[in-house]
Amino acid sequence: MRKLLAATLGVLSAIGGFVDIGDLVAASQAGALFGMAHAWVLLVGVVGICAYADMAGRIAAVSGRAVFDLVRERLGPRVALLNLVASWLVTVVTLAAELGGVALALHLATGVSHLLWVPLAALAVWLVLWRMRFELMERVFGLAGLALLVFAVALVALPTDWAELGQGAWQVSSAGHGWPLYWFVAVALFASTVSPYEVFFFSSGGVEERWGAADLARARSNVLIGFPVGGFLALSLIAVATVAYHPSDASLGSLGEVARPVATALGGAGLAAAVLAFFAVTFGAALETGLSAAYAAAQYFGWQWGKRVSPREAARFHSVLLVGLLLGVVMLMTTVDPVRLTEYMLVLSAVVLPLTYLPILVVANDRTYLGDRVNGWWNNLLGAVFLLLIVAASVAAIPLAIVTGMGR
Amino acid sequence: MRVQLARQLLDRQIVDVEGRLVGRVDDVAFAVDDEGYPYVDGLLTGQGALGQRIGGRIGRLLVAVADRFTDDPPVPPLRVPLAAVARVDSAVRLRCRAADLPPSPVETWLRRHLIERIPGSYRASG
Repeated sequence: MRKLLAATLGVLSAIGGFVDIGDLVAASQAGALFGMAHAWVLLVGVVGICAYADMAGRIAAVSGRAVFDLVRERLGPRVALLNLVASWLVTVVTLAAELGGVALALHLATGVSHLLWVPLAALAVWLVLWRMRFELMERVFGLAGLALLVFAVALVALPTDWAELGQGAWQVSSAGHGWPLYWFVAVALFASTVSPYEVFFFSSGGVEERWGAADLARARSNVLIGFPVGGFLALSLIAVATVAYHPSDASLGSLGEVARPVATALGGAGLAAAVLAFFAVTFGAALETGLSAAYAAAQYFGWQWGKRVSPREAARFHSVLLVGLLLGVVMLMTTVDPVRLTEYMLVLSAVVLPLTYLPILVVANDRTYLGDRVNGWWNNLLGAVFLLLIVAASVAAIPLAIVTGMGR
Repeated sequence: MRVQLARQLLDRQIVDVEGRLVGRVDDVAFAVDDEGYPYVDGLLTGQGALGQRIGGRIGRLLVAVADRFTDDPPVPPLRVPLAAVARVDSAVRLRCRAADLPPSPVETWLRRHLIERIPGSYRASG
């Protein structure tokens, strides 16, 4: 339990990447259409994000520098500005989607229209960011997100054929939906598991918690517990959708349909747990994306940032935070579908992914930052292979999006 | 002090003696000594200095945004004398406090017009 408490930063970071509002629907959709055929994508994503979060955490602990610090230092002001603008937009649109997700969860719980909940959700998120201690925030929302384990429990209660489930993960097929659609879903899932805001948030969180060289073990346990837990939660979403929807090849598109198999398996209590979990993970992801957008901007320009100082001493940081949240609310008020919006953004973010991960790999080998804590050869091998995968995904993203008409 | 300007100094974070973040090394000011040798006179930081270094339309936009959020534009860059620099490692570490340097006009403007008007802005949440 103490290990888990010490790893809540990793858990919360992973929630934003693996099981935020976009993934709740996208992962379930992948399960309904293709069964377990995308399980390997999650596995690869977990290994990759662990490798890079480990580097980013180590850099944060030893040198006190967060990821966007490195981006600016290694790419120079122009290219880093391009990355900042792209990452900021993607993150703020994701923030909007998460606020929409919080509102949708509240709609499921109360029946009141989700648009009415949006301003309240935004206000609640802002209050947490304005007032709550960082460690408390990360513990409350990291642990509450674990309510999503109810999907794994439901899998046991459902008439699951485990052998078939395992075989589906092993024998990859396009299930009659065509390979372009299969790969489009794969790239979208992959891009969301390695969303840049995860490493922005994770490394900045380490700085907020004042990690030092003595905390390297803590940084590592955050990585090795947090991200696999996130991957497991996403995998259980895919598995539940596979069991419930894949045999009839039904497509699903709403949060209510994602939760229905849990209600079937576990009754009202299960449904309540699922709705609570939706609320917790989308709220947690809203906190993560809101902070990440402001962290990236503040670190690019070198402003004072963080929750350690009073807001008046980090006025530009808190102003950017506020602007991001307000922009998110305005976007939702145009009644645009938040889930659809993140899908577009995911494809665009896939294109700029290398601009975030390359600087981390370079600095992780720089002795002026890390002394003798630089990468070993296995870190570099893993990092390089993974960077190739990221580049491949970023090259394939737009053609696949066009060929499949955004997966329709 | 021997430093590679582009690799070790430009774009680094400037940190004061208490760990407060002052800004980034957005540009470097040169001066020429009596014998005609150029030397680094100080570090420049601020959105204006960054905009001028980037140049072009994007650079002008950065300068214009900074000028919009200040009481008397144009915003001059904050100049950190080289004597204030204690050492350079993963950041440029100063030997003085951020409070001893002139404050950032944009930070001051946003503090006065926006953040300080919200209750609770004086307490850190930690």
